Amino acid sequence: MKILIVDDFATMRRIIKNLLRDLGYTNITEADDGNSALPLLQTGNFDFLVTDWNMPGMPGIELLKAVRAMPKTAKLPVLMVTAESKREQIVAAAQAGVSGYIVKPFTAVTLKEKIDKIFERIQG
Amino acid sequence: MESADYDQWLGRAQSLADHIQKGNDDEVNRLLDEISRGRERMLFQELGKLTREFHEALNGFRLDARITDLAQENIPDAKQRLNYVIVMTEQAANRTLTAVEEVMPLSESMAAQAKVLRAQWARFTGRTMSAADFRHLSHEIEQFLDKTSTDADHIRNNLSDVLMAQDYQDITGQILQRVIRLVNEMEEHLVRLVRGSGTRVMPSTEKPQGLTAALVDASESVAVHGPHVPGTAPEEEVIHSQDDVDALLSSLGF
Repeated sequence: MKILIVDDFATMRRIIKNLLRDLGYTNITEADDGNSALPLLQTGNFDFLVTDWNMPGMPGIELLKAVRAMPKTAKLPVLMVTAESKREQIVAAAQAGVSGYIVKPFTAVTLKEKIDKIFERIQG
Repeated sequence: MESADYDQWLGRAQSLADHIQKGNDDEVNRLLDEISRGRERMLFQELGKLTREFHEALNGFRLDARITDLAQENIPDAKQRLNYVIVMTEQAANRTLTAVEEVMPLSESMAAQAKVLRAQWARFTGRTMSAADFRHLSHEIEQFLDKTSTDADHIRNNLSDVLMAQDYQDITGQILQRVIRLVNEMEEHLVRLVRGSGTRVMPSTEKPQGLTAALVDASESVAVHGPHVPGTAPEEEVIHSQDDVDALLSSLGF
């Protein structure tokens, strides 16, 4: 499975990458905001997108909308991992078609749960 | 006075002098009227300019009055954010230290025990070990393997905890970026205030920047808020845990 992690903080990308590696996912690519992520998503065959919300350039919510608007990625599972914890934001992400939403700080267990749930839903 | 104006005035004065000499009273009166009207117009233009400058200066001052807002609300808010950064970095440091301290002795005893067993194993392969000692050794090896397996799990868990503790860098980084933005705004407004008190005229083309612009941004429906800092936003707007997020999403049909 090919995964793209989008976060402007390199430390957070490393953390998520390590956690995903623990869960057995090793084919991981990184990008630091929506603008650099979009071309990757257009050309690469990614199976899963993990994105932050608050990033300079293109924020995660815009990236999510762009992903849903492109036929190639419209059905791509998108997990938002973000410090944005306002009710209206979670609702906005849900409306934009997010597949899962994790608030930072989070645990390895939470990440595993959400990923499992997303793929259960896809397969089910 | 510009040279075109100067020529015009000179021309009028000369023709006024001509008409006085010739005794053309009507023409003299007409020219005198024209000259005094010109002066009035200049006076009004100057008055208009002054009024405009005064108006702009007042506007500029109103804009800089936002410094009061900055001082009363944003600075205490920034202090709260910075304190939260201290709390978060301290928590992360303690979490990391605890995890390391806990498993450091485990890895030390594992190494020491391995060394002891290695020496005994050398006796066995060198055929200098009695059967009774070998039975004892194989029992020790068994215990060591069991303990190593448990301890390695423990070490792995703690390492993963150390890994997770580093998420403070992302969260505190976002908070610090916000405070830096605030400091920049503050600087802008102070510069404007100094400029405003030093000169009379405020640049009229300047658009609202800094805080004014930030306030406009903040009014957008789903703006970026950054990490939640306790006590800085109405509590009912903020989701506090992953469980709350899950509950909200499931109420939306997730």
